[in-house]
Amino acid sequence: MCSIPAANPFIPYPATVTGLLDLTPDIKLFTVELTDPEQQDNFDYRPGQFAFISAYGVGEGPYGIASLAERKAGLEFAVRRVGTVTRALHELEPGATLGIRGPYGNWFPMEDYRGKNILIIGGGIGIAPLRPVIHHVLDHRSDYAELTIINGARSPRELVFSNEFDLWAEPPQCKLELCVDRGNDEWQGRVALVPQVVSELSPSPDNTVAIICGPPIMIRFVLTGLKELGFSPGQIVTTLEQKMKCGIGKCARCNVGDKYICKDGPVFTLEQILNFMEQF
Amino acid sequence: MNRIIVDNNLRSWLKELAEKYTLVAPVTSDGVTLFKHVKGSQVDSLDLQYSNTAVSPKGCFFPLSETMFSIGSDGVNVIAPVSTDREVVIFGIHPCDAAGIALIDRVFLAEPTDTHYKEKRDRTILIGLACNAPSPECFCPSVGGGPANPMYLDILLTQTSAGYIVQATTGKGKELTPAARMEEKDIPLPPPPHVTPVPLEGVSEMMRRNFDSPYWDRVADRCLHCNICSYVCPCCYCFDIRDYMGKDKIDRVRSWESCQSAGFTMIAGGHDPRPTKGARLRQRWYHKLLYFPELFGDIKCTGCGRCVRSCPVNIDIREIITDVQKLNV
Amino acid sequence: MIETIRNKAKEWLEKNDGGCVIGYERASDGMTARPVFIYKPYMVGSLIFDETCVHNLSKYLLNRRGLKTAIVVKPCDSRGINLLINEHQLDRESIYVIGVVCPGMKDAHFGRIEDRPLSKCRVCLHHTPAVYDVLVGEPQPETASRDYSDVARIEGISIHERNAFWKEQFERCIRCYGCRQVCAGCYCQECFVDELDPLWVGIRSGPEDNWIWNIGRAFHLSARCIGCGECERVCPVGIPLMLANRKLEKESADLFDFEPGMDAGTAPPFATFLKEETLEKVE
Repeated sequence: MCSIPAANPFIPYPATVTGLLDLTPDIKLFTVELTDPEQQDNFDYRPGQFAFISAYGVGEGPYGIASLAERKAGLEFAVRRVGTVTRALHELEPGATLGIRGPYGNWFPMEDYRGKNILIIGGGIGIAPLRPVIHHVLDHRSDYAELTIINGARSPRELVFSNEFDLWAEPPQCKLELCVDRGNDEWQGRVALVPQVVSELSPSPDNTVAIICGPPIMIRFVLTGLKELGFSPGQIVTTLEQKMKCGIGKCARCNVGDKYICKDGPVFTLEQILNFMEQF
Repeated sequence: MNRIIVDNNLRSWLKELAEKYTLVAPVTSDGVTLFKHVKGSQVDSLDLQYSNTAVSPKGCFFPLSETMFSIGSDGVNVIAPVSTDREVVIFGIHPCDAAGIALIDRVFLAEPTDTHYKEKRDRTILIGLACNAPSPECFCPSVGGGPANPMYLDILLTQTSAGYIVQATTGKGKELTPAARMEEKDIPLPPPPHVTPVPLEGVSEMMRRNFDSPYWDRVADRCLHCNICSYVCPCCYCFDIRDYMGKDKIDRVRSWESCQSAGFTMIAGGHDPRPTKGARLRQRWYHKLLYFPELFGDIKCTGCGRCVRSCPVNIDIREIITDVQKLNV
Repeated sequence: MIETIRNKAKEWLEKNDGGCVIGYERASDGMTARPVFIYKPYMVGSLIFDETCVHNLSKYLLNRRGLKTAIVVKPCDSRGINLLINEHQLDRESIYVIGVVCPGMKDAHFGRIEDRPLSKCRVCLHHTPAVYDVLVGEPQPETASRDYSDVARIEGISIHERNAFWKEQFERCIRCYGCRQVCAGCYCQECFVDELDPLWVGIRSGPEDNWIWNIGRAFHLSARCIGCGECERVCPVGIPLMLANRKLEKESADLFDFEPGMDAGTAPPFATFLKEETLEKVE
């Protein structure tokens, strides 16, 4: 895997914020460019990987990469303002400096999904690490069968990547199902929790791979729901999140049982998760 | 035939080493023995009969706090840490502590290499001292070590009535041994002192089967979730990384932390996969007795007994091991 | 004495299904004690009480807030219960206090018992618990006069000497927070060293950081420290923490004539604001 290793793995690559987009009241999409052109060119990553972003003076955090490297449209992260580091990141303006360490972790093996139906299930910011998968499927449309995306949020304003929904629904054999926990006066769509929508839609497990990301509790319910629909554990994939500090398997913090989320994950099949001893 | 160095010569050798190297040795003050940097003038007052230091010498390679790098006030300029070329000699380290460093090596020297740790390891020589009188809590042979085990050391000194037998096991060690100060004598290596064994057969498998046992909550009842066990341990290595604002720079600092402290695994937003005392306590034992052996083949413990002595509420790893082997699935 | 403790514990458990008795049992060295949590009447046989029962168990009550708990306490430990009730951290109703008249503890550590009293016991005033539901042992008279001779080590020396003394002591600190975790008076949900925003101290260790930690904690305990000495006992590097705490305890006694934890009702000086009290202008 593919980036220039820093001699000191704890020193980030310097980078600048080249784009900022408000996705929801507390989620921003950051476009970042590494300052050194050679580092920028060699920063090659795959769908599902993550990187550490440093807000110097405050700290560092791991964030799923929300862009598809192939598109060469910039390295993007969707960051929710929820703690000290994310709050500092949200205060940055275009042109601001930050640090990037990565890419880390394993990735979605898109080659294994060729010819299959792709079922994407995202809740809240969970849709962000799945966005590169969506983009890959859209860009290589004939390599995959049906694409179904179930995307939920707490409220209509909190649906993430609403600016792209048309692009996701438009191509042939692409279906986008949105849902919210609570609607508002304008909302015409579904008011339901993501696991409920999964059961309602009752997707067939035939030749399908289900890729899920969202809050732990949503993942747990969706996993149960898909099992009930007949999905086998090998057909279900998710990406997990844990508190991290080093991201390179040294600080012994992000393990769920004997698996380190930074090295063995963050992408896991349900088959692997069923062998986890600990609850994530 | 073995090479012997008598105490006087040993001391004069150490004083010479103190000139050329940074000499680190066990120093006792106020009843507490710790590894400290010593000057030549302190060599004569070194107590070489110590049983074990309060805290292991892992801090020589993996300090309690370490500035990994700094960022200048422009927010861009990375100031790498200033390193020294001066080599270090750690003298008087017991085999259990050398084994602890070797266990940490498995993680920190693996790719991507922890350059801070490696840099210190590369310029340090370990001169060990075999134990004469292990503490009742020690159990190093049960975890593959021993009170006179020369492994993981560059040189091992074993005390006899005629002086210390010198064994150099590595190239670095051989180069350093003071040939002129040693004599060949027909004195055999003494049998190592007895250390009470702790039977470890099958413990990893029993751990695997008893993850959900209420046993862990019961032990955790009395756990204070201080960090003492992890901090005195020669092979615990969890750490925190955090930024600290300086006057015109920002320091990114790595510090020891323990899986026992509350909030160790809490994510911003409040979700914590280990919210209970039992879950946190359980992590320590599973890391040591199951996860690490699965990854590296060895139990993450050197039998030094420090955690047993230092735990304020007597959570005893030997007791945990024997209890787990008797647990019903 | 131990039979009484066991009987009281058994009776209480039989009447309080689902409750827990916190007491002492024999440690794994076969000679000292350690805390034990007993949930079933038939297990009370493991309870012991002797001069190795140095631990202050009152801190554990904070893990069982609102749950029915019985607890074996020495006089110093019982003051911890009063402190916590006074500061609204515990509900008196759910606690059954088995108070034990204390003969004084030996300087007991894992695997060795020194043949001398624990330093806190040498200067102890109170031999009968300050709060109890049942008293085990005959009430003992209090020691008449306060003895702060242990504090002399840092009194009567210049401020520079004191500075140098504490600097040397705190250099050894490994920031394990054993002192904080064992202390009944340290129960903040977010300790000042764990606060991230602003980052008052952080987790970094070093001369200044260690100073702020140890002095900060000592001051947070002024007029609150009950003198149980647990912090010093658990410190893995032997820092004389009680020296600082006892010095501040002496000053609180001199200035406010206040002894923390003697009852659950008296408002502590630093938490009390009386409108009538004014600072006298110092010329």
